Amino acid sequence: MKTATANKKVRSRRSLSRNDRFTLAAFIGIPTLMQIIFLWLPALITIVLSFTYWNGINVSDIKWAGLANYKNIFFGTPVFYEALKNNLIWLLWFTFLATPLGILLAYQIDRKIKGHKVFETVFYIPVVLSLAIIGIIWNFMFQPGGFIQGVMGRDIGNAVSIWGNYSINTYVIMGVASWRHIGYIMLLYLAGLKSVDPSLREAAAIDGATEWQTFRKIVLPAMRPVNIIIVVITIIESLRAFDLVYIIYGTSTAWPLLNILVFQNFAGQGISMKGAAYAVILLVLCIGPILLYLRNVFKEDLK
Amino acid sequence: MSTTIVQNKAYKNKQKVKDNFISAFIGFFAFVWIFPILWTIWTSLRPYNDIISYGVFSWPRHLNLDNYFHAFRVMGLTHYFLNTLYVTIPAVLLTLFLGSLIAFVVSRYSFRFNLSLLLLFTAGNMLPIVLTYIPVFWLYIKIGDLLGNRSLLYNNYLGIVLVHVAFQVGFATFVLSSYMKTVPKEISESAIIDGASVFRHYWNVMLPLLRPPLAALGVLMSCWIYNDFFWALILMSEDSKRPVTSALRQLQGQYITDFNLLAAGASIVAAPTVILFFVLRKQFVSGLTLGSTKG
Amino acid sequence: MSDVNNGISRRSVLKGAAIGGAGLAAGGSLLAGCGKKKVTGDVHFTIRGNLSDAGAKIAIAANDAYTKKSGNKVISQAVNSDDFQNNFVQIMQGTPDDAFGWMAGWRTNARADSGLLADLSDQVKALGSSLSAAAIQGATNPSDGKQYIIPTTYYPWGLHYRKSTMTELGLNPESIATWDDLIKLCEATQKKGLVGYALGDKGGWEAMGTFDILNMRLNGYQFHIDLLNGKEKWTDAKVVDVFTHMGQLIPYMNKNVLDISWDGMRDLLLQKKAGAMMMGSWFANDFLAKSQADYDDLWIVPFPEINPEHGVDSIDAPLDGISVAANGKNVEGGKDLAGFLGSKEGIDAAVAAGDTNIYISSDFDSSKYDAFNKQKLAVLGAAKNIGFFLDRDTRGDFAGPVVGPAIQSFLKNPKDLTKILDNTQAQWDALPAL
Repeated sequence: MKTATANKKVRSRRSLSRNDRFTLAAFIGIPTLMQIIFLWLPALITIVLSFTYWNGINVSDIKWAGLANYKNIFFGTPVFYEALKNNLIWLLWFTFLATPLGILLAYQIDRKIKGHKVFETVFYIPVVLSLAIIGIIWNFMFQPGGFIQGVMGRDIGNAVSIWGNYSINTYVIMGVASWRHIGYIMLLYLAGLKSVDPSLREAAAIDGATEWQTFRKIVLPAMRPVNIIIVVITIIESLRAFDLVYIIYGTSTAWPLLNILVFQNFAGQGISMKGAAYAVILLVLCIGPILLYLRNVFKEDLK
Repeated sequence: MSTTIVQNKAYKNKQKVKDNFISAFIGFFAFVWIFPILWTIWTSLRPYNDIISYGVFSWPRHLNLDNYFHAFRVMGLTHYFLNTLYVTIPAVLLTLFLGSLIAFVVSRYSFRFNLSLLLLFTAGNMLPIVLTYIPVFWLYIKIGDLLGNRSLLYNNYLGIVLVHVAFQVGFATFVLSSYMKTVPKEISESAIIDGASVFRHYWNVMLPLLRPPLAALGVLMSCWIYNDFFWALILMSEDSKRPVTSALRQLQGQYITDFNLLAAGASIVAAPTVILFFVLRKQFVSGLTLGSTKG
Repeated sequence: MSDVNNGISRRSVLKGAAIGGAGLAAGGSLLAGCGKKKVTGDVHFTIRGNLSDAGAKIAIAANDAYTKKSGNKVISQAVNSDDFQNNFVQIMQGTPDDAFGWMAGWRTNARADSGLLADLSDQVKALGSSLSAAAIQGATNPSDGKQYIIPTTYYPWGLHYRKSTMTELGLNPESIATWDDLIKLCEATQKKGLVGYALGDKGGWEAMGTFDILNMRLNGYQFHIDLLNGKEKWTDAKVVDVFTHMGQLIPYMNKNVLDISWDGMRDLLLQKKAGAMMMGSWFANDFLAKSQADYDDLWIVPFPEINPEHGVDSIDAPLDGISVAANGKNVEGGKDLAGFLGSKEGIDAAVAAGDTNIYISSDFDSSKYDAFNKQKLAVLGAAKNIGFFLDRDTRGDFAGPVVGPAIQSFLKNPKDLTKILDNTQAQWDALPAL
C-alpha cells in the first residue's frame, strides 16, 4: 500500500504535462514579474541612483558620485541627525510605552473583563481610519482655533503653539501615533492570545498565581512567536513613520523624519540623489527587522 | 482541600474588585480614545452659522445633517468615491488572485525555489514605500511612452492599482500559503490522481477551500487600499481622478475655514471602513490572526 | 544662472511700468493681429491654490474672457500650491496641464534648461511694447536669451499694517526711519497687547522675506545676491549681523511662529491681532474678499533703513507670470492662453473680477490704481535694486532643503547661530554642479 502511494507520488511529479508546466510557469511568472517590475526594480534603481548626481529630469545628465551623497548626509547635514533622533524617539516610545500598553490591553480584554466587547472595538477604530482623516481629526483638536485651544480659552492670535512648540510637539505627535498603534498591537496580540492553551492558565490559577504572575510566567513565554512579530512591527512602523507627519507638516522639516527627508530631497523643488541616499539608509535600517521577521516566521522551513 | 477552595474564593473576590477597577480605568481611556472622533462628528452636526455667532463651545441651537448634504453636493464626494471604487476593487481582486497563485504553487508543489519565492514576496511587503516611489513614476512615464500612451499608467487608475497590488501581494501570499498548509494533502493527491490539470487543481479544488482566508484578506486589503492616500498624490496629476482619501488634501485646503463642513466630509470618508469593521469584524480578526501567527 | 550681473538692473522693470502706464494707447500689441494661426482645442490650466481663494476666481474670470475671445474652452483645476511646487518636476514630465501660474527666476529658468517648459518668446514679442525692456529682461532665461514665462503681476515685500490699528495705538509707521524706530514701534504695539512683528514660518520660506530685507539693508544688494550665488560665505560676519538683528525681533513675534504658515500670519493681521507684518502684498486680494473696508485699511511701507550706506535702495519684488508645459497635450493652446493673459484684454478681465495686484504690463493703466496699489508702486519705486526673493534667486536644492530649515533652527534656538551658519556654508559647498 505504501509503495503504491509512493509510486503514485513519484509518478505524479514526473508526469506534469506540457500544459501543466506552462500553467505553473504562468502562475509563478506573472505575480513574480509584477513584483519585480513594480517593487524590486524601482528599489534597485533607487539604490544605484544614490551613488550618482542627478536632478531627476534628463537621463543624459546622470553623473557618477560614488559615496559623495552619503558623505554629505553624514558629515554635512545636521537635520539628518535630528531626523534620526526623532525616528529613535518614535521607536523608543512605541517599544516601551505604546506596544506594552497594547499588550496589556489585549490581555485584559482577553480575560473578558466588563465591557471588553466595547473596548475591543473602540481601541481599534483609529486603525481602520485613513491617516488623511486622522490628520484632519487631530488638526481639529490642536490647531489654532481647535478644541484644545478652545478649552484653554485661546483663539487664533494667542493660540498656544503645539505643532511648532518643540518641547511638547514630540509628545503630541507620539500621542497621536500611539492612538493608532496601540489598537493595532492590541488586536494582533488578542488574536495570538486565543491560541494560548486555556488549561495552562487554569492550572496557574489553581496553583494560586496572581493574574500578573500568570501573565509574566505563563502567557508571555507561550506567545513567543507572536512577541517577535510584535517587536518587528513596532520597529518597522517607527522607521516607516511618514504619513502622519506629512499630513501635519507637509515637506518642511519642522519635525524631521527620515522619510520626510527622502521626500524633500527626492521630490520637491530641488531634486537631488541625496534623497535616494536617505532612502537607502532607511532600507539598511529596516533590513535587520525584516530578516528577524523572516527567520521567525519561516523557522521550520529554513531548517 | 476546603482551605484551597476558601482561598480561591477570597482571591476571586479580591480579583473581582481589581477587575472592576481595571474595567473603569480602561473605560475612561476608551472614552478619551474615542473623544476626538466624537468631537469631529459633533462638529459636523452643527451648522456653521451657529459656531460663528455663538462660539465653538456654545450650547447647540440646531443639530442637523445639513453639513452632510452640503458636503456631498459641494465637495464632489460621490465622484471621488467612484474613483476609490475604480482603484480598490480591481486592486483587491488582483492581489487576492495573484497571491493565491503563488501560494498554491508553493504549498502544493515542491520546487527548490519555493522558499526563496516566499521570502521574496514576504520581504517585499515590508519595504519602505519611499524607496520606490520616484522610480515608479519614471517607469510609468517610460513604459507609457514606449507603448504610445503616456497616460497608460501615470495619471491613470491602472497605474495606482498595479502599484498597490505589487505592495500587497506579499502579505496575501504569506497568509494564503500558511492557510494552505493546513489543507490536507490528500485532497490534492486525489485530484492529481483523477487526472486534473494544474489549472483545474487550482481552480476547482483549492480555490473553493480558500474562502475563509480570502474573505479575511479581502476585508483587510480593502481597508488598507481604501485608506491609502499617498500614491495617488504622486502618480496622478489630475485631482479629479484621485480617490477620496487623496482628495481630502485638496478639500482640506479649500474648506479650511469651514471646519463644520470639513468635519462632515471627513466623517463621510471615514464611514466605509468603520462600517466594514463593525459588520465584518470576524474577518478582520481572522485575517490578522493568519497574518501574525503561522498556521 | 541668475540674471543679476546683466547690465539692466531689475529696478527699471518697475520704473518702466509705473511711468509708462498712463501713456500707452490701448491695444499695445501692434503685432498681435498679423498672420497668427488660429489655435483651437481645449486648454488645460492649473491654478495654484484652492478654488475658494480670491485668486482662483480671478484666474477663472480671465480664462473665461479668453474663451469668449478665442472660442477655446479652458478647463481649470486647482492644485494645492505646495504640492504643485514640490511635485513640479514629476508633473511636468508626466501629463501636465498646458498652462499654469508660475514664478520668474530660477524656478523658470532652471526648468526651462531641462526642457520642461515651452518657449514663449513669440508670445512675448507679440505683446510688443506693452512690456518694457526690463520686464522682458526679468522673464528671460540668461542661458539662452529666450523667455519661458509671460510676466504678469509683481508685488513688493514690505511692512504691512492696518491703518486703523496704528491710529488706535497712536503710532505712525510711515515715520519710522531707522532700526530703533522699528523696535520702538514693535514695543509699543506689544505693550498694547498685540503682536509686534507677526511671522509664521511653518512653511519654511516665509521668514526668508525678513532675512532678505535685513541682508539687503545691512550689507547691500550686491552682497545679498553674491551670497545667494555662492560668492560670499554664510559664515561671514555680515551674515551673523543679519541674524543678530533678526534675533532682536524675536521677542516681538507671536509665540507660535513655527506653528503657523503665511495664511496664519495674514489672519493675525486680518483679525487685528498684530501690528506689523513683513510680507509680499499678494494676499491683499484676501482682504478685499473679506470686505472693502478691510482692504482700504491695509497699508504698506518699506522696511526702514538700517545702514545709511545702503539706505532703502533695495527690495524683494517677485515677478509672477504664466508658463506653458512642454509636455502638455495642447502646447500651442497653452501658449495662446498665456499670451492672452499677459495682454490688455486678459489683464482687464482680471481687474474686472477684482484683482488688486499690480500688473507689469504698461497696458495696465496705473492711473486707475487704487490708493493701496499706488502706495505699492511708491514702495517699489523707492528702490534701486530688486530681488526676486531668496527661493527664486538661488538654487532650488539649496533654498528649500537648506536655508529654510536653517532659519527655522535659528528661530527655535538663536544661540545655535554659529553652528547653523557653519553648516549652511558646508551644505552649499557640497552641492553638486548643476
